[in-house]
Amino acid sequence: MGQPLPKEDLLIRMQRDLKKALTKNPNKISWAMVIDLAKCVGCHACTIGCVAENKLPPGVVYRPVLEEEVGTYPNVRRRFLPRPCMHCMNPPCVKVCPVKATYKTEQGVTVINYKRCIGCRYCLVACPYAARTSDFGEWYTQKTPDLPGKLLGRKQAASGYENKPAAEYGKTWPDRGHGSPVGNARKCHFCLHRLAVGMLPMCVTTCIGRATFFGDRNDPEALISEQLASPRSYRLKEELGTQPSVVYLK
Amino acid sequence: MSKKRYKVLMILGVIGLIIGSWGMGSRLIFGHTAVNYGSYVPWGLWVVFYLFFVGLTAGAFLITIMTYMFRVERLKPIGRLSAFTVLVALVCELIFISLDLGHMERLYRFLITPNFTSMMTWFVVFTTLMLIIYLLESFFLLREDLIRLSQAEQVKAKKIYHLLALGKTGYTEADRERDKTRVRRLSIISLPAGLLFYGTNGAFFAILQNRPIWNSAMTPLLFIVAALLSGGALITALIYVFHEDEELVKPMGQVILYLLAIFLLLEVLLFFVGYQSKVTGIVTSLNLIVFGRQWWTFWIIHLFFGTLIPLILLIKYGDAPRAVAWACFLIVVTFVTVRFNFLIPDLAIYKLDGLEYTFFHRRLRTHYIPSLVEWLVSLWIISFGLIAFLAGSRWLPIHSSAKEEGKQGPTTWFNILNSISPDSEKGEKEHA
Repeated sequence: MGQPLPKEDLLIRMQRDLKKALTKNPNKISWAMVIDLAKCVGCHACTIGCVAENKLPPGVVYRPVLEEEVGTYPNVRRRFLPRPCMHCMNPPCVKVCPVKATYKTEQGVTVINYKRCIGCRYCLVACPYAARTSDFGEWYTQKTPDLPGKLLGRKQAASGYENKPAAEYGKTWPDRGHGSPVGNARKCHFCLHRLAVGMLPMCVTTCIGRATFFGDRNDPEALISEQLASPRSYRLKEELGTQPSVVYLK
Repeated sequence: MSKKRYKVLMILGVIGLIIGSWGMGSRLIFGHTAVNYGSYVPWGLWVVFYLFFVGLTAGAFLITIMTYMFRVERLKPIGRLSAFTVLVALVCELIFISLDLGHMERLYRFLITPNFTSMMTWFVVFTTLMLIIYLLESFFLLREDLIRLSQAEQVKAKKIYHLLALGKTGYTEADRERDKTRVRRLSIISLPAGLLFYGTNGAFFAILQNRPIWNSAMTPLLFIVAALLSGGALITALIYVFHEDEELVKPMGQVILYLLAIFLLLEVLLFFVGYQSKVTGIVTSLNLIVFGRQWWTFWIIHLFFGTLIPLILLIKYGDAPRAVAWACFLIVVTFVTVRFNFLIPDLAIYKLDGLEYTFFHRRLRTHYIPSLVEWLVSLWIISFGLIAFLAGSRWLPIHSSAKEEGKQGPTTWFNILNSISPDSEKGEKEHA
């Protein structure tokens, strides 16, 4: 037989690891993510969970799942590769940002200061993983017929979803006019706002196959450290020397 | 330039400004919603035109090199024209790139939190430096005539000239000598500054290691040569139109011919090395230029109209100033496609396999065709530049030629200066 059945859901263990990490000195934490491609079924729940959590507008996506069909009939299969921001230890995006709007936190997360970003999109061009998207200020409800004063209609739909403030970086971003994050580069931030209150990133929580692992890689007892030590581990475009904090398991 | 030609160009500029206002209004009110670039092709037509105008500024740089490094004294009289051209091109370039920013109101951030590991920061530094150099150079070149115009009885806008001369009322021989020295020093400073400016522009793209064509040590060199070629061609065409100085157009034509040959050689090397490397990303990118949807911009506009015809004109009719001017004009106007084919095909390839089959949205595609708003905004800025240049040529003493006399209206600076002092032209030439 294969491995014994887990005694507890992996999420419970990661949650415990997270709470333990949060009691540490923040400077001693180094967040990392592992994605087990053998477990990923390509359900896109992480993508949708991320969009809902961060109130992402059209054309902005932090964690798409790349799909590829490989082989020839009858030996064909689909391959799925969730692609969040790699939170590189040697990030090309940080180097090229002309106004220091994007930088690395002490915990190794690459973040964007929305109020500082000038929207030059140089970081989008520099990122080798296409992990950044620009917010062009579009609305899902842009062409929804408007029926003022009725129950249904654009205004109601908008106020029901798009007008709700996103909680990214622990702040509220209600403005969908010209103000930030419209006009900014946007990307995955490991759900820092959720981590701050002891919750795992949305993509980890919503993964139905428990394919995404998250935690403090400085904790040798954490589940993430076990996964990082796997011989199946590899990183995307390793030859570029970006040293991603997101590791894949073949 | 004849009064008729001036009027036609001015009317065209005003029409362009009016039509372009629709796009400009749309950009300022609705932001980036009406543009066609997205997250995978993050830069579009405005960055293409920005690069185009960066290149055009190199005209004066070329004049400076030739005058002060190669001691071509013959080019000194066009110092004013070339310095003013740089100023207009720099202003157009800055408008283009500002409108491309998601938050142009935060430009001050370059001063408060500059990141010196970013090539963009260095590019802003050198752009500012060039702007300051050419503002000062233009000022010192024009100061004497500005003061004289501010004192002339028949000038209606005396106060404006007085303001432009920064309130100075007298101009002595010592002032003239001082200004001459200042211009010479500024020209010498502009040599390294210009090389760094155009080189940084190329390095801006070259340092991006994941970019197939850009990531090459040759890119900065290509940018310097491209800038000298397009800028030099513009200045040559302008010398023909404004100075009608045949003796000056011919040697400039020779310089442009050599620059065109060097640029072609670099381009051939780019394609040869790229195709021989057989790296998928590089080959895909080059194929997009040669066989992609916009293949005609490369083959017909760039190679046929922008290279082959100018080459024939410059080689076969190099002694005919009119032919040289036409060759230069063709090089300048078709150079937009060179910038387009440098910028877009490199961006228009997916960085990861499978990215094209996930999360469909028009901003997440690599196919890019500029939107109407992008074209209209470009039209507005180009028309603005044209009007600014024409207005400058009419109201500011930016060029000197006896042949201009009588061709322009009675209110132009040239006739006024001539009526003030019969030896003004002599003084002007000495000064330049």
